[in-house]
Amino acid sequence: MRGARQIWWLLVVAFVMTSTAVSGQQMSEEQIRQRIGENVKTMRSVQADFVQTKHLRILDDEMVSKGEMSYEQADKLRWEYKTPYTYTFILNKDKVYLKNERKSDVIDVNQNKVFKEIARIMMDSVVGNSLNDGKTFKTQIGEEGSEWVATLQPQKKDMKQLFQKIVLHFDKSQVCVSRVELYEKNGDKTTIELKNIKINEAVSPGKFTID
Amino acid sequence: MRPSVQGSSLLISLVLLIISAVGVRAQVVFPQEEGGKATMKCIIEMPKAYVSGLCILRREGETVKGSIFNEFGISAMDFTYRIDKDKVKLHTVVKMMDKWYIRRTLKADLREVMKELRRGGRRYENKRNRITYTFDPIERGGGESDGSR
Repeated sequence: MRGARQIWWLLVVAFVMTSTAVSGQQMSEEQIRQRIGENVKTMRSVQADFVQTKHLRILDDEMVSKGEMSYEQADKLRWEYKTPYTYTFILNKDKVYLKNERKSDVIDVNQNKVFKEIARIMMDSVVGNSLNDGKTFKTQIGEEGSEWVATLQPQKKDMKQLFQKIVLHFDKSQVCVSRVELYEKNGDKTTIELKNIKINEAVSPGKFTID
Repeated sequence: MRPSVQGSSLLISLVLLIISAVGVRAQVVFPQEEGGKATMKCIIEMPKAYVSGLCILRREGETVKGSIFNEFGISAMDFTYRIDKDKVKLHTVVKMMDKWYIRRTLKADLREVMKELRRGGRRYENKRNRITYTFDPIERGGGESDGSR
């Protein structure tokens, strides 16, 4: 038992030493924050395809859905699932439009706390703004190969009830979020991967129209 | 001439077989066999609001495990249904719905929903509380075999 503990400590020490050695050549957390922050300021729009994979712990199963997203500064977001189901979520200022196969609705986010939170998290996560929201999340950022990885620990009660943590992966070359991982309280995990990312290309105004 | 007619009949039969096979897959609402799965869009309508999302069921022996979550992947509830005992157990319910009176209604309703789906139905209405549950099967990609009907 004592031997096993010593080995474990050796591994920890080795890991810390390796991390320290590597971090010597890497950007500090503050530098990464600054780099992402600077880029957020210049980001007028983002368009991408996404693949969402929901891992269901109780079923030991995965549900994969795919679609397209468009974001335009400062508060316009379109999130559209195309397969295997259709569902559209459009946020335009303080209005949210939802459409599925059977129904469509317009919701005032100021009158719906849950939607306000969902809309804000989606938008801030895609852009990377969540890193600066110290009230909602406690954030740790590190460098892993070609990525910066930010781990967000919820601080607010509503968020704590939903998520254990949210992990954002930033592509260093494009300085934008390429993957979002949502860890839920029940052990489920949802991964959203952004592909074919286009930054600052013109977005059709119709994408954010709410009838 | 006759071989051509026979050939056409064969082709039509084949097309009909494929269409009916696709039709059967689209009808999956309850996993009837061991390891079978059913994936559905679901809408729960209440007098003043509605929620939409997805429901996945998986059969393990006499137990059906189920999970309901919204389109973004956020879980609403996980449950198991014992077919032989006709009993539902709620494992997790999202915090904002985790009240004893909501759990009681959900347990009773899910039991009726499971029975309805098992019969091949897609809709259950709790008339007392005016809650309607509607399920529409969807086809998941990857050509997975779900062993269901």
